[in-house]
Formats: sequence, structure tokens, C-alpha cells
Amino acid sequence: MFSRFGSAFKNSARSFSTSAKAEISSNTKRVINGAVGVAGLTAAFVLYEDSQTAKAMTAAEHGLHAPEYDWPHKGMFDSYDHASIRRGFQVYREVCSACHSLDRIAWRNLVGVSHTNAEAKAMAEEYEYDDEPDDQGNPRKRPGKLTDYIPGPYANEEAARAANGGALPPDLSLVVKARHGGCDYIFALLTGYPDDPPAGVVLAPGSNYNPYFPGGSIAMARTLFDDIVEYEDGTPASSSQMAKDVVTFLDWCSEPELDDRKKLGAKAIIILTSLYLMAVWTKKFKWAPIKHRKIVFNPPKPPKKN
Amino acid sequence: MLSRLSLRSGRSLGLATTVARSFSSSAHTLKSTYDSPDFTKYLNKSKGANPDKTRDYTYLMVGAYGLVSAAAAKSTVDAFLSTMSASNDVLAMAKVEIKLGSIPLGKNVVVKWQGKPVFIRHRTTDEIAEANDVDISTLRDPQKDSDRVIRPEWLIMMGICTHLGCVPIGEAGDFGGWFCPCHGSHYDISGRIRKGPAPLNLEVPHYEFVDEAESVMIG
Amino acid sequence: MSFYHTVFNTVFKRNSVFLTTIFAGAFVFQAVFDEGVNKWWEARNKGKLWKDVKLTIPGAGEEEDDE
Repeated sequence: MFSRFGSAFKNSARSFSTSAKAEISSNTKRVINGAVGVAGLTAAFVLYEDSQTAKAMTAAEHGLHAPEYDWPHKGMFDSYDHASIRRGFQVYREVCSACHSLDRIAWRNLVGVSHTNAEAKAMAEEYEYDDEPDDQGNPRKRPGKLTDYIPGPYANEEAARAANGGALPPDLSLVVKARHGGCDYIFALLTGYPDDPPAGVVLAPGSNYNPYFPGGSIAMARTLFDDIVEYEDGTPASSSQMAKDVVTFLDWCSEPELDDRKKLGAKAIIILTSLYLMAVWTKKFKWAPIKHRKIVFNPPKPPKKN
Repeated sequence: MLSRLSLRSGRSLGLATTVARSFSSSAHTLKSTYDSPDFTKYLNKSKGANPDKTRDYTYLMVGAYGLVSAAAAKSTVDAFLSTMSASNDVLAMAKVEIKLGSIPLGKNVVVKWQGKPVFIRHRTTDEIAEANDVDISTLRDPQKDSDRVIRPEWLIMMGICTHLGCVPIGEAGDFGGWFCPCHGSHYDISGRIRKGPAPLNLEVPHYEFVDEAESVMIG
Repeated sequence: MSFYHTVFNTVFKRNSVFLTTIFAGAFVFQAVFDEGVNKWWEARNKGKLWKDVKLTIPGAGEEEDDE
């Protein structure tokens, strides 16, 4: 059916272009063709020339590309592994939090994700927060509440730099989103410290070699060694296991809505697909009488000559 | 339109090959050599052709289309409206939990909730009896003491005078309760207005006891 | 009176009834659909979700953890 319509359309288009051809002089046409040709050739030449020189940095400059890992939450409809988030929080708390803050996560955020209400409350109460001043205006302290944010290791940026030889440990709340390569990069970085830097690499004092870090010289030393934490669920705390867990936890920090987002996405896909199919059906149904319609012209017969 | 469609479907059965030209009854058209598009794709090909079934199916499809559209529209509107509600951090701050164990019998404690003072009094049995003894028909804002407390030993109410919003002073006034120093409103041991310009009793916020009355959650 | 005829007469014949059925059905459909997708999601991600992890934590039985 469409082919019939198509041919009809083609016919009318042909007749249109025939009439248009008469209006464009052959000289104008030649100029247009020439301009198109020159532009095309120039573009091809420029692209070819550009392809002859590689402007990419060396692997040492931009850091080794992290391999792609098969995260439990990688798939379109895969949720976070919440047991891993729970272990990862333990790693953050016992290892990373010595230097890195986690400013945007409050204790209440952990409730219903990796910890129970009572556990989160108990952890919050281990820290002291500023309270409102008393009647005499003296500052007071109070134990933490669920609504408080997880405290950082340093009072301010200057203190953090002073304690780390001038380098500022970045806040980890959004670090997975903030680094090119995301989870894969951070996992590769954490597990990628070689025992010795390769020959010829000169490191400034206080810095360490890591091939995945841009420039290769990173202030953070290797921190994850086998069995530095003891998991409560009995998972063997190998350094790669800890790196996987802490990266899962940090990914949750960056994107706590991931589970809900994927579930909503599944719903949207199902609903919109069915709406599309039903819309097609309804369109066909509504158009059927119009498409069937045929106008017939029966020319009047010429009067008979007697 | 529906009935026409099903009629036509009945008639066109078995004519699939010549169907394009069979629509017009005019013998002239049938004989005509003009090209006409092929409409077989649009024909109702259901066998047996129960017109009632066809009609029901049509209505069902259109109805289901409307139904899913309505559900999708509702979800969309819901999603946009829910952005207007308070965010989780605000909601979390809207509640305050107070440990009651540290409040001795017969003492007042003032806590802050959403920036406003809340009075918590650990009442003695004498005070509870006193609060229940009052003839409520003589009160300006008649309210039984049992309607103002969940557990009689804990009186929890907003510390804002209902007259002009001052903060009343505890354990003061003619009725052994609270006294507002601004315009002299006297409240009794249940926080009810007894004397002075205030029109209403001190407001009781929504609260609930948690952990077997070890602490109270206001909000 | 055939089944299809009865259906037509009860639901489709009057537009008001038809529309009411559609809007009432939308609410039912939404509840059922949400529940169905949730079930599927939980079956697909079994063992990874918090409600599964919670069971492995000692002393965290029937505790409420909304928020």
C-alpha cells in the first residue's frame, strides 16, 4: 500500500522538479555542484590530516585506563548489593575516614540501606556535635543524632592539608561521579599500587606511584592490605574484596537513588511500550474507514449522436 | 462506524485477491483499469466474524489504551506534585527525640522543637489528681486533663502563650502551673487557661512514646 | 444473549459507564502493576536488597526502619 502511495508521491515530486529545473539556470547549478564538491573535498582533507597526528597524552600522563569490572549493580535492572554497601561502610569507617570526609551523608541516610535504625543511632551517638549554648551562653556539646552528618576527620581544609603534606584528601560523598571511569577507576586505583615504582620514575618525597592516577604520582599511599578490617559477616577481607565493598559504598553515596531509578525505569519502559503498541492499534482502527474510502468518477456518457 | 466495519469484514471474506476493487458496487469501477491501492492490511481478518466479539474487542482495546494513559498521567502528575513536599532532610529535622529518664519527678524541662519551646513536666500523683479535680464546665477552654496527655505523668505541650506568643514561666501563677509575664495569663498544672487574657489552653503537639516510654518523639 | 452482547450492554454501551470503568480501572491497574514490578524486582535482585541483608544482621529482626 505504501509503495503505491510512494510511487504516487514520487511521480508528483518528479513533475515538481521538472518544473523547478526550468527556473534554475544550468550555470547556477554548476556553481552549486562545484561548491558542494569543494566543501566535501576540503573536509575530507582536513579530517585525514588530523588523523595523521595522535594528540593523545601518554599513558603516564593521563593515567592507565581502568579495566571494566562486572559490578553487581551494573546491569539495567540490577540493584546495589546492600551487603556490600554495609561492608564498604565498615571499610570507610575503619580505613578511609582517617583522612577523607563524607560531608553529604547523614547517619539517617544509612537507615534502611545498610544499617538498622538502632545501629545508625548508636554510631551517631559515638560522636559529639555542637549543641545550642546554655542559659549563660557557654557552648555545649551533645551526642550525635540521626539527623547529623557524618563528621570529617579534619576541622577545615587547612588542617587537612597540614596533616597530609600539602595534599587535600578529597571528600568522598560524590567521588565516584567526580572521577572519570567512576567505580572502575577507584577500584583500579585502590588495588593498583605496585610494590616498587618502575625503573626511571622519580617521585617527590611523600608521594607514591600508581599507574592509574594521572601523572602516576599520588599523595595517598596504599591503604588496603589483606585483613586490616574484620567483616562481621565473615567475608574474607582481602584487599580486593575491601576495595570492591568500599567502591560499592561510595557509589551508593554518589547515587543513592539508583535502586529506585532502575525500578522506575523498568515501569516506564513497560508502560510506554504498551502505550505505543495500543496507540498504533487505535490509529489503524480509527483510520480504517478513511483509508478505505474511494472516490469514483464516472464520466457522463456523451450524448448519443443520432 | 463499528458496525460498518464488521459488516464489511463479513463481506470481504474470501475476496482477498480482488479485495482492492470490491469496495465499490459499481460495475463500472470493477471494470476500470485505474490503479487503486491495496487495502488488505486494513481489513478485519478475524474468522468466524462474530460481530459482537469484534465490537467488544475494539472497545476493550480503546478502553485499555485510555486506562494505561490515565494511569501514566496520574503517575506523572504525582511525580511533579511530590517535588513540592518537604525533602527528607527537612522531614528528619521536623522530629525530635527526648530521653525522659533524666527528668526527675516534679520538674520542668524546656526543649526546642522546630525552633519553638516545648514544655515537658514529669507530674507527681498529687498534681495529676489536682488536674483531674477541676470542674471543666467552669473553664474558658473546657478540656479534660486526660485529653491533654497520653501518659498522665508526662505533660507535654508547646511553651507558647496562646494570647500573644510569649513563653510562660513554669511553677508560677495562681494555679500552680505556668504564668505568662507579658500580660498575666495563668495556666494550671494541665496547661489550661484559668485567668488572664489568653483565650485557649497551651497547645499540645503531636508526640508518641518510644522504647517503652524511655523517650518521647515529638513531631 | 451472547456473552459478548452482555459485556457490551453492561460496560461499553453507555459512555459514562465506559469512562467510569476506565478511570476506576486505572487506579486498580496502577496498584496491581506497581506490586507486580516490585515482586519482579525483588525476585531478580534477591539476596542483594536491604530486606534480605537485614535478616543476616543479628538483633535486627522486626525493627522499623523508615526514613
